[in-house]
Amino acid sequence: MNLQKIQECERTKLEQLSRFQLPNTFKKVGYTLTFSAFIGLIILKTVEGEPEWMRPILRYLMIIGILIVSLSKEKVEDEMIKDLRSKSYALAFIMGVVYLVLLPVIGYFIDYLRTSDTVLKEANFFEGLLSMLFVQIVFFEVLKRNR
Amino acid sequence: MENTIHVERAILKLTQDELSKKIGVSRQTINSIEANRYVPSTVLALKLSEVFGKPVNDFFTLSLDD
Repeated sequence: MNLQKIQECERTKLEQLSRFQLPNTFKKVGYTLTFSAFIGLIILKTVEGEPEWMRPILRYLMIIGILIVSLSKEKVEDEMIKDLRSKSYALAFIMGVVYLVLLPVIGYFIDYLRTSDTVLKEANFFEGLLSMLFVQIVFFEVLKRNR
Repeated sequence: MENTIHVERAILKLTQDELSKKIGVSRQTINSIEANRYVPSTVLALKLSEVFGKPVNDFFTLSLDD
């Protein structure tokens, strides 16, 4: 396989990958999964002696649910919607990085003001992914409403 | 970029909804194009040209800030 064929193959595969979307009906599935997992997590807060595996599973389900919503097509998926979707992903990426960088710093200063014992904690992956996906969906809906 | 799509649409007595169905986009997209909030792709511009039976340059013009 020569270089040109490799480049062509890469381009085609990347194009296919970037175009991947789920049908519009999956949006409801995604929201149902997200809200069910969210309610499950709230219930877990009130229950004593919860199984250890329950919380991580519910967190994964919540992230998968939001990802399904994010990847689902609109009823009319035209070029303007694709443009708005790209903008929302770009904004979510930047906001997600800013959030992940600032959260430990803000946490550190809050700890510093409350107690003298301060430790710089890293943001966990659940918070990072959830904030990115959540921001993407919110920005997309706002851009869609104001188009 | 400015356009006179609403004029062309009026000539053909088409509503935004009817035009959107003819070129396979949503009504909101037609509304955004008419309000100069969204610049359509070449493909969409050529589809509009086909519906109006006129070259793209007749209803899309560059503005000073382009």
